[in-house]
Amino acid sequence: MPSGGRCPDCGSTELVEDSHYSQSQLVCSDCGCVVTEGILTTTFSDEGNLREVTYSRSTGENEQVSRSEQRGLRRVRDLCRVLQLPSTFEDTAVAYYQQAYRHSGIRAARLQKKEVLVGCCVLITCRQHNWPLTMGTICTLLYADLDVFSGTYMQIVKLLGLDVPSLCLTDLVKTYCGSFRLFQASASVPAKYVEDKEKMLSRTLQLVELADETWLVTGRHPLPVITAATFLAWQSLKPSDRLTCSLARFCKLANVDLPYPASSRLQELLAVLLRMAEQLAWLQVLKLDKRSVVKHIGDLLQHRHTLLRKAFREGTAEVEAQKELQEQGQGQGQGKEVGSSSLDLPEGKRPASPALLLPPCMLKPPKRVCPTPPVSTVTGDENISDSEIEQYLRTPQEVRDFQRAQAARQAATSGPNPP
Amino acid sequence: MRIMALPSQLCREDEVRLPHLLPPHPRVGPPRMEEEETYLQLYLNQCAAQDDFIPPGLPLLSPVVPEDVYISDSCNPETAFNSHLEEVKETSGDFSSVDLSFLPDELTQENKDQTVIRSKHEIEENCKTQSLQRRLPLSSQQDVGLGLHSSSSSESHAPLPPGGANSVHPSEKSNSLSLASITPMTPMTPLSECSGIVPQLQNIVSTANLACKLDLKKIALHAKNAEYNPKRFAAVIMRIREPRTTALIFSSGKMVCTGAKSEEQSRLAARKYARVVQKLGFPARFLDFKIQNMVGSCDVRFPIRLEGLVLTHQQFSSYEPELFPGLIYRMVKPRIVLLIFVSGKVVLTGAKERSEIYEAFENIYPILKGFKKA
Repeated sequence: MPSGGRCPDCGSTELVEDSHYSQSQLVCSDCGCVVTEGILTTTFSDEGNLREVTYSRSTGENEQVSRSEQRGLRRVRDLCRVLQLPSTFEDTAVAYYQQAYRHSGIRAARLQKKEVLVGCCVLITCRQHNWPLTMGTICTLLYADLDVFSGTYMQIVKLLGLDVPSLCLTDLVKTYCGSFRLFQASASVPAKYVEDKEKMLSRTLQLVELADETWLVTGRHPLPVITAATFLAWQSLKPSDRLTCSLARFCKLANVDLPYPASSRLQELLAVLLRMAEQLAWLQVLKLDKRSVVKHIGDLLQHRHTLLRKAFREGTAEVEAQKELQEQGQGQGQGKEVGSSSLDLPEGKRPASPALLLPPCMLKPPKRVCPTPPVSTVTGDENISDSEIEQYLRTPQEVRDFQRAQAARQAATSGPNPP
Repeated sequence: MRIMALPSQLCREDEVRLPHLLPPHPRVGPPRMEEEETYLQLYLNQCAAQDDFIPPGLPLLSPVVPEDVYISDSCNPETAFNSHLEEVKETSGDFSSVDLSFLPDELTQENKDQTVIRSKHEIEENCKTQSLQRRLPLSSQQDVGLGLHSSSSSESHAPLPPGGANSVHPSEKSNSLSLASITPMTPMTPLSECSGIVPQLQNIVSTANLACKLDLKKIALHAKNAEYNPKRFAAVIMRIREPRTTALIFSSGKMVCTGAKSEEQSRLAARKYARVVQKLGFPARFLDFKIQNMVGSCDVRFPIRLEGLVLTHQQFSSYEPELFPGLIYRMVKPRIVLLIFVSGKVVLTGAKERSEIYEAFENIYPILKGFKKA
């Protein structure tokens, strides 16, 4: 900052206040000559009031950065360290935060939003490096609401114009599976429940791939699918001992939170496996159900490609509807594929006709039939009759009644609670 | 076809609009009249010549022209048309009193709207002929559907495949247009592989200005269908049964009307709210009615691989299954936001006009069809 004086050496007026450690100096920015110096030594009584100055604060590098931004950058670095991310991620995340901070909308945002912004920057960095970090994890770490997080995340991606790749499912499976505490016996985990990590991981990956191919993953949160797949993989590796264990108990043993949708994903996955089992000759005779099919998951996964091709056919809702019309003479629509396939199965001798490979939301019957709205011939300029408008107005008597009722309510609420 | 009707129409217009048409003589009298007369003569001569046959260019002057809007334009018929237009324009600069509605410059809303009224049978018939013709020359291309239809859709997608496609167009057009010349004057479907699905409008948001200060307390007191909680929101929420809509009425006199299923219904509803406010004793008028947003939805009836779509259309799509099950596609032209779900249901929003919704859906349909098989 230029002050009034001139440099005695070169005569320029560009003098800058520069603090060198605890000594303030006036320095010429052209030749570097020190014009004036503050007091270097202090008296004993003065020293009592002094505090340590950290190096970073003494070098003046943060004078251009506001305190709030500094706090945010610190939080970004802390979060990266807590998550044990590589150091390059830290720099990228910090750069994103600084970039975001240049926008006035972010600078003026509430502290809660700035907190969440820290998480968003770290998440974007991880996604770009294919590091599987879920939003749920970040929200737990930041004690933030997922709604607030999602709003800020969408805003910042749009604001910075970033290309954020999707969450990598295979990596997520590996990290998430690895977090299950089932690979060593302990007080809570009996020996029969302990499993080899590699075997479980490979089987879980295959099951997640299967779920992805059969439309169980698209549009859904990835984590519950992985939980269900891990559970099935674990059960199938030693079914005799583990069939009795439920999904909830499994998650408790493994010290992992059970996400709410995991049980319905489990049912969907079992339904797919049952369909595939119907195509295997030696399994047809066994008349498998949801529990017994677990024992044969190994076989089913081994032949999953062929089984999928045989068990399911491509189709659309229209094809299914037409098929319905032909077979049953009804126009019910999509929900009947189970019925039609059981019709085709005489005494379990022939494999069931292929079911439709559709997402579960298309297989369920529609909750309510949406009638096509009648073609309206409204022009917008019709006459509006007085009677039609008057039906919406209160008569004077009604107005008086209403006012009286309101006054009574006021009296009632303010009466029992004296101010 | 309208063109054949035009000469006689113009003749009638001679009598009605330009009753005192002077015989041509050098620059005497109102020059405007003279210019128009020479223009008329020129045009009549053209029409007389063309009455004998229909060259591929001319039918474009009919309402068939809206196809140009959907097809990328650099094809022969348009250049033929442009030359016609040039001739016409040279004669007179002032066309204000002449009926020029057959020119494509003005064929915007009216004809796009008319595409709604088309019969499905016509659509499918055209679809089949068009799809057959289109598939043949471009079978060499890897993704025929994608490349071809991106050429037939807006410029934000892949550019028109050169050479082969252009040469195909005139012959295609003549085939389709001969079909068109036989059918009655219902507007043609766009030549792009039409989906046969029409998005249904679900909600219209519009605003109007009542142009007077309002006493919200009084309105809430005297109107049965009003609710007013000043602590919660600074406006009266009023509802009417027919058309079933809700309005937010502010003390400044501005009003927002939501819930209507068509533009006309929205306007009628807004007028009814204005009338209610009028009957309550305020000098309300009905000014500046404007449609702010239109929401439509439809179903393509096949499942969609959203992960694939976000990979190929990364710059337009946002798919976060952890946050929302649908894919958010921000189309550039027209500026519409589409929510695409795995079940094939599509929600289109952000439109100010009905045609934008239809156009956006016709643009997205070929892209979605590319992801039809798993």
